[in-house]
Amino acid sequence: MTSVTSTPSRRFNAARWRATPGPFKVGAIILAAHALFAIVGAVWTPYGYAEMGAGLPLSGLSWGHPMGLDQIGRDVFSRFMHGAHIVLLLSFAGTILGMVAGTTLGLLSGYVGGWFDAVTQRVVEAMISIPFLALALVMIIAAGPALAGAPVLIVFVVGLVYAPRITRIARAAAMEIATREYVAVAELRGEGTWSIVFREILPNAANVLLVEFSLRLSYAPILIGALGFLGFGIRPPTPEWGLMISENRNLLIASPVTVFGPGLGLASLVIGFNLFTDGLSRMLGQRPVAGA
Amino acid sequence: MSIFRLLASRILFSALTLLLVSILIFLILEALPGDVATRILGREATAKALEVLRSQLHLDQPALVRYFQWLGDFLRGDLGTSIATGRPIADVLGPRIVNTLLLSLFAFALYIVLALVPAIIQAVNRGKTIDNVISVITLLLLSLPDFLLATMLLFLFAVAVPILPALATISENSTWQEMLRAMVLPAVTLAIMMAVYAIRVLRDSLIEVLRSDYVRLAELKGLRPRAVLFRHALPNAIVPALNVTALNLGFLIGGVVIVERVFSYPGFGTLLIDALQLRDIPLIKATVMISAAVYVAANLVADVLAVLLQPRLRTSR
Repeated sequence: MTSVTSTPSRRFNAARWRATPGPFKVGAIILAAHALFAIVGAVWTPYGYAEMGAGLPLSGLSWGHPMGLDQIGRDVFSRFMHGAHIVLLLSFAGTILGMVAGTTLGLLSGYVGGWFDAVTQRVVEAMISIPFLALALVMIIAAGPALAGAPVLIVFVVGLVYAPRITRIARAAAMEIATREYVAVAELRGEGTWSIVFREILPNAANVLLVEFSLRLSYAPILIGALGFLGFGIRPPTPEWGLMISENRNLLIASPVTVFGPGLGLASLVIGFNLFTDGLSRMLGQRPVAGA
Repeated sequence: MSIFRLLASRILFSALTLLLVSILIFLILEALPGDVATRILGREATAKALEVLRSQLHLDQPALVRYFQWLGDFLRGDLGTSIATGRPIADVLGPRIVNTLLLSLFAFALYIVLALVPAIIQAVNRGKTIDNVISVITLLLLSLPDFLLATMLLFLFAVAVPILPALATISENSTWQEMLRAMVLPAVTLAIMMAVYAIRVLRDSLIEVLRSDYVRLAELKGLRPRAVLFRHALPNAIVPALNVTALNLGFLIGGVVIVERVFSYPGFGTLLIDALQLRDIPLIKATVMISAAVYVAANLVADVLAVLLQPRLRTSR
């Protein structure tokens, strides 16, 4: 095993950075740039993100307005900047929720087995059979008008869409780990199910789960963007990038940069996540799974 | 286990899954705590409007009764009545399903070409520049949200170089040439989105098969490289890609929602969005059930095909 955990020093230094695969480096740099941009955008933007009359509406791109202006004269770049931390926070929160739920259920299901496993698997199967976008949209409708457009709902929906898929991965890992000797030893010591699942199985499934987390995280901005694009996501005027692309779509002829600016941002974020995942899975000796 | 028992158990599990899907959809839409009618119409709704909706949805009856009534009707082919239009759902759905089926078939034909050709080029030239170039392009396309790809293609081929219609509006009166032209952009978008997943898997499995003993043997026998590739390597390499294709069908069902929306194509996806926007619960239930059924059926077919194509699997599972 040439896994990272076997290296003596766990501290991150220049030598370890150089040893990482190429895609990981590029991905990490893109993500760091996005994180920095998001932090700056959260505290300062050239114009207010909802400020009308920042310039002549639809005047196209210029030095003062690198992504142009929308039809009510809002500076698209300021909106894009302010949206960066929203996209990142929603993606992380939703994916973490899905990971916590999916990992707990999957590890328990894989280790305990029996009827609990059988029931869980059937429910997971059923949830995966509903196209994820349809499931997300139905959940949003079911939540009702009071919650529509609330960040909490988006986080919950992303978590709910991800949880069954993560459950499957965690279950497979737990079933494999459950056959190892140290689990049998822990059982003989008389440890309880929760203790075995979280102290024996979880640390040993960490590599698989880390890659899974990274993979799901890559797709979260697309999912959130799709919800915004269809008009079921974050409520305007909050500048979530998918929502911005949808709002500016009727300006495609007049000022295409208002659509492709945010689009480029979204695509580069996902590229960063994908490269990072690719590198991470190579470093941890895992193979990423294709498909959402 | 004989192949027939295997088939029977797969079909049984698929049916069970769909039964659970129906319970889930019902639970989410109608059995969440709180008043369904208020959630649909909002707090400002008048008492009268709420009353009308309650009677339309039979909300005066207990949830369990409503569920079994819906399930029974559904199984008998009665999909219920749309609240928004007052028409039978089967009449509303029928033409939309036909439109989406046509679009999907077109997209699927393109998908097979767009997945096979790059994967074969990569596998044959593995490690060379062309292999890496295609890998990078695949990764970039993989990272592109479907709604963005659709918007980019729309901009390129309907705005910048206006050779294709921006709106894929078709009607019963459209000639088949008009329909085909209207479907090009949505179909290409869907095909690209599906192909990028399959290319990676297909390339890796093709490379693995090309290294195997029986391909070596075929080469040593003096068969032409082309015959080795297409007759011996490709059929075996396709099996892993079948799973991706089943996954892709699942994507296709979700993807049509976005793509049809971007191009205003009157299909199943736009109908689902309309139903959601109007909070037409009976129509939502029917569309989601049908899309889940298509997904389950696609997976069943992929499983069976995998068993039939690869004799090894017939006994191992």
